Amino acid sequence: MATQIVENVLEEAKRNDAKKVAEVHLVIGKMTFLGVDQIRFSYNILVKDTIMKDSKLIIEEQEGVIECLRCGFKGPIPIDDDPAYHVPVPSLRCPKCGEAAKIVEGKECTIKSIRILKQQENKNDCQRCC
Amino acid sequence: MTNTKEVLKGDEVTLDIEPGMNILEVNKKLAQKNKDILKEHNVQAIDIMGSIGAGKTSLIEKLVQKLKNKYRIAVFKGDLTTTIDADRIGRHGVQVLTINTGRECHLDANVVARAMERISLKNLDLLIIENVGNLICPAEFPLGTEKRVVVISVTEGPYMILKHPFTFMTADVMVINKKDLAETMKIDIKQLEKQAKEVKPDVKVAVTNALTGEGVEELIKVLEL
Repeated sequence: MATQIVENVLEEAKRNDAKKVAEVHLVIGKMTFLGVDQIRFSYNILVKDTIMKDSKLIIEEQEGVIECLRCGFKGPIPIDDDPAYHVPVPSLRCPKCGEAAKIVEGKECTIKSIRILKQQENKNDCQRCC
Repeated sequence: MTNTKEVLKGDEVTLDIEPGMNILEVNKKLAQKNKDILKEHNVQAIDIMGSIGAGKTSLIEKLVQKLKNKYRIAVFKGDLTTTIDADRIGRHGVQVLTINTGRECHLDANVVARAMERISLKNLDLLIIENVGNLICPAEFPLGTEKRVVVISVTEGPYMILKHPFTFMTADVMVINKKDLAETMKIDIKQLEKQAKEVKPDVKVAVTNALTGEGVEELIKVLEL
């Protein structure tokens, strides 16, 4: 996944004639299987010999949101904190009516924005004397 | 859509680009394409996930034995290397295609699309895809099948569902395999079922012993085959 992120950023940077990539802003959903620390670790290795070297990686985490298939309730994913389970377990059960719900947010891994540096075109050249 | 805004700074320009590109969406779109192709050819497809040693291949063998006279079946078998499992399933007289992923821990919609090109979908009713033995990564990559099955076995302990809730959220059917060992392993199958329903209230459950074939009829029923 980190490879795909870096490849896509490099492609976008190349398309815009970037000299350097200064900043990458990702949105990663909490309902994905992606670990923020692992992405950051791989990212730093992958960017080493590229124009993304020393770029700042900002990762924004998106909370999980579910929508009930029956009553239409939309809200944060319920966490079942039954002491019998030892651990809080996320659930797709609608907290309002108890029916099955589906995940509507929190499954994304999006490159939200990239900040690049590029050479300025010579806009000051005089058309008459230069 | 790429939006740009330029900020001047010496002879260098800073540019903010907003690709808004969802990396996971690429696989999802390919999966949807697979789904459309399968639907067009009236092929039902099932993705079977589960840990190494849960009993996925044994279950598929039993499913194939029971269903091969009713449907024309093909099996895609995802493995890092070897065709050992594919040979096991192939013995039952159905078409088996091994997808060796090399180092990858899961199948994705792209490799499945390539495998689909190599079989005759016109002469097929049911496609069973056995994913790479792994309970985490495959869940992130839908393949375009109509149904997803997660197989767990009682020998994996009482906490598989609680430890992997996000995987079970993607499942339509859950199989609890090796039921004959439940007592030895001191596993309460009813408790596992309860946990699965808590995580995914509409999941259907079948309890099996893939070696003897016990419970496989129940699985066929919940798969609506």
